[in-house]
Amino acid sequence: MHKTGTRRVLSLLAGAAALVGMSTASDAATIRVVLGYYSAATQGLFEEMAKDYMSKHPGDEVKIEVIQWDNLQQRLTTDIAGGTAPDISMIGTRWLLDYVKNDIAEPMDSYITPEFKAGFIDAFLAPSTLDGKLYGLPIAASARAMYYNKDLLAKAGVNEPPANWDGVVDTAKKIKALGGDSYGFALQGKEIETDAYWYYSLWTHGGEIIKDGKSGVASPEAVAALTLYKSMIDDGLTEPDPTGLNRQDIERLFKQGRVGMILTGPWLRGQIKDEAPTLNYGIAPIPEGTTKATYGVTDTLMVFKSSPNKELAMKFLTETVFTPEWRIKFSKAEGFLPVMKEEAKAFADDPQLKAFTDMLAYAHFAPAVANWEQMVDAIIAALQKTYTGQSQPEPALKEAAATIDGLLQQ
Amino acid sequence: MENKLRKSLLLWLALSPLIIIILFPFAVMLSTALKPPLEVLVYPPTWLPTELHWQNFSAMWEAARIGPAVFNSTWVSLAATAICLVVAIPAAYAAARMEFRGLKLFRQFLLVTQMLSPIVLVLGIFRLMAKMGMVDKLPALVLAYVAFNLAFSVWMLQAYFQTIPRELEEAAKLDGASAFQRLRLVFLPLATPAIGITAVFVFIYCWNEFVLAMTLLRSPEHNTLTFQVFSLVGGRYQIQWEQVMAATLVASLPVAVIFAVLQRYLVSGLTVGAVK
Amino acid sequence: MSGAANPSANGMGSKTAPYMLILPAILFAFWIIGYPIYDLANMSVHSVNRFGVTTTFNDFNNYSRLFSHQLFVGMLVRTLIWTFGVVVGTIVLSVPVALILNEKFFGRQIARIIIMLPWAVSLTMMAIVWRWSLNGQSGMVNATLYQFGMLQSPIEWLATAGTAFPIEIAVGILVSIPFTVTVFLGGLSSLPSDIFEAARIDGASAWQRFRYLTMPLLKPFLNIVLVLNFIYVFNSFPLIWVMTQGDPANSTDILVTWLYKLAFRYGELGMASALSVVMFLILLALTITYAMLAMRNERRN
Repeated sequence: MHKTGTRRVLSLLAGAAALVGMSTASDAATIRVVLGYYSAATQGLFEEMAKDYMSKHPGDEVKIEVIQWDNLQQRLTTDIAGGTAPDISMIGTRWLLDYVKNDIAEPMDSYITPEFKAGFIDAFLAPSTLDGKLYGLPIAASARAMYYNKDLLAKAGVNEPPANWDGVVDTAKKIKALGGDSYGFALQGKEIETDAYWYYSLWTHGGEIIKDGKSGVASPEAVAALTLYKSMIDDGLTEPDPTGLNRQDIERLFKQGRVGMILTGPWLRGQIKDEAPTLNYGIAPIPEGTTKATYGVTDTLMVFKSSPNKELAMKFLTETVFTPEWRIKFSKAEGFLPVMKEEAKAFADDPQLKAFTDMLAYAHFAPAVANWEQMVDAIIAALQKTYTGQSQPEPALKEAAATIDGLLQQ
Repeated sequence: MENKLRKSLLLWLALSPLIIIILFPFAVMLSTALKPPLEVLVYPPTWLPTELHWQNFSAMWEAARIGPAVFNSTWVSLAATAICLVVAIPAAYAAARMEFRGLKLFRQFLLVTQMLSPIVLVLGIFRLMAKMGMVDKLPALVLAYVAFNLAFSVWMLQAYFQTIPRELEEAAKLDGASAFQRLRLVFLPLATPAIGITAVFVFIYCWNEFVLAMTLLRSPEHNTLTFQVFSLVGGRYQIQWEQVMAATLVASLPVAVIFAVLQRYLVSGLTVGAVK
Repeated sequence: MSGAANPSANGMGSKTAPYMLILPAILFAFWIIGYPIYDLANMSVHSVNRFGVTTTFNDFNNYSRLFSHQLFVGMLVRTLIWTFGVVVGTIVLSVPVALILNEKFFGRQIARIIIMLPWAVSLTMMAIVWRWSLNGQSGMVNATLYQFGMLQSPIEWLATAGTAFPIEIAVGILVSIPFTVTVFLGGLSSLPSDIFEAARIDGASAWQRFRYLTMPLLKPFLNIVLVLNFIYVFNSFPLIWVMTQGDPANSTDILVTWLYKLAFRYGELGMASALSVVMFLILLALTITYAMLAMRNERRN
């Protein structure tokens, strides 16, 4: 009894000493936060959060750094290798697996209260929970839907947005028959997320990217999904040469009113408001094949195990970033879906956003596997080979499947 | 006279396809950089803007952080050029003026390093810099730029130094000048043009370098100009081409002007260096 | 190079002086270039994870994985097409351009400056501007074709390898011309004019003078330009990286762009280091070729 008492006192003392030590060190205690670039607003938004936090905790410093998504993973990989990892980083949630496997990510459960955790919408917390432990907090979530140009569809004699792929093909044919330089269906063919544009078709045809630990991209469903896109290209129902257009390019076609239907995320609403305010458009679910589906994406804020200031880093997250006030500001500025229950109330009366949140029940997430980037590039290569007519859907997908299986076995 | 005129016309005509293709990118930069943002992406595209939208330049300067990037590029290039010359001049002097065992080996060593480009070693260089804790530090770029320009600089300088007549130095020697005095008072003044030309080439290399900057730099505030302009294009969901073109114009013009003014010297300089 | 015959030429006197003078340069090169080569070679024969921690010797597994990679042969072939395409194209164009610029005509100085211009602008900027110019919907290449009525619907120039790769080679040629023309101009100005005068008096036609006098006399310069360009182009990274990043479906990927992806995108450090070593050896072989050519020149002179 007495003994444990002393021990407690001692440990308290040690804790105090550590605190003293920390507070002297924390004069220079800086936490570095690395973020991916969503829009021109990202940097300013987080700098304001940092300011807010620093005003409440004088002496702590929060440094914000925003970099391009394309370079983010490469950047973090090399930082980890070079021992210069930041304290907090934004990551694509699927990267977590790699980081957890290599003991790089700090589990968060001991830093947060159950109430704080309960504030999140469960579906978004699930992807960053591995083996029952929480390794990250969802900063941004999006689901995808179909935007359609009401005027263009009406001109072609279509008054309701097509609900399934047959309808999409049919509508696109009618738009094509109008002549002019408008296209029925936008198809992304290069750069980041080219693969995602095909997953919509894959999942709605009932396929899976990875199934039972093996590649599913050469399954009959997958071949059907790609054959659909290929036949649309061949019939002139998409813009010509899709492999020349990235996501920005096809979104621009939509903003210019030159394409009938496009599959993309909630951010496009904001851009249309700024750049093409007169565009008359609607938002509908991703067209159905044999089933309903959409692509759910979450990005996560994680804390590095190597950080000397984990306590501080978590404080910044729980006391500032993930408070309803800042969450609402963030989601408004960036156009993503709410991830916290409190925050969601602020958006309850936005019917367009509802089109996206309604899709969440059918959301598929990218599989959490190692070497994912290499698999993505193999899939994109198969798609591009098919889109350019260099290969037929089946052999191209089989090649990608072989690459993926090889990587899965590593 | 008339004959020369006819010949001139014919020769210009023969060169014209190439000249048009060379000038085309500059015309594109100018055209796009001066367009109002909403006109940049119109379809079908046109060459001439409806109004000259100079604001793109100020918008670009602020939004694209070009100011700090110009500053970074300038000091990295100047520092690398200076260090490179300080290291290369003595070596070139030795290679040009002295006979010693291993001179041939030294020349071969120079040749091999000259053939290596950063891209082949980029992974190794990154690991070296990471080990030294220099990732995301501009001095890392300076070090790497010096290393990759040394061989070229020594090579160029020694080719030049060989063309400087020894007789002057010998005369000074007879007059009782010390080795150091001979170097400072006789040799270096004569070598100045060569050193200047070498410096310009090294500077341009550093100003334009891409792979190492992309690999070693981290924070946007450390970006050099070339990499900063690239980062406006690579991996973005939104590319503001009018700003990008304004930035490429700003990044390219100074070097192009220096080059045009010094063209004659640079070209004759390189010929001595490359062919010897 | 008469230093050996002339002892007084040894300016600094002391025996160790030359070594002291070259020492900093050598140390620098060993530090920043030599160590990475060693590190890459070492890594290439060990198992290594994506965060760069090397473990056991792995029996050249990195090399066998590299050589048996399904993309490797294609990368190699495209690298050869790219390198030969650019080098041969550059030389075929540079010879007449140099001959023209060597003539005396009005505005020659301006013509020289324009032809040299791509040299001053970085490859990255060139690539960015061309990428934008070739944009199918809004680019200025298509704008120009529309204006001349040569185009009805947009062409996506960078969408297929059939157009993208030749365009990249063409841009590669464009930026290689200045250096090549410069060397040829230097060569032409060093040719003795009296032989040409004599040949003309003997009634040799312009073509004959070119074929039997200019070309043979330019040959040493041609050799140098060939090897140097070969090395530059083989190493050239920004053009392809900026314009297409190897797309579509790796059809414009070459070894250097693939190397960068392996190292920094896929975290395949083992294969990346093996590829670095392979490329280093290829370059070394080229350098030796160059050294031999240069030595033969020197002897002839």
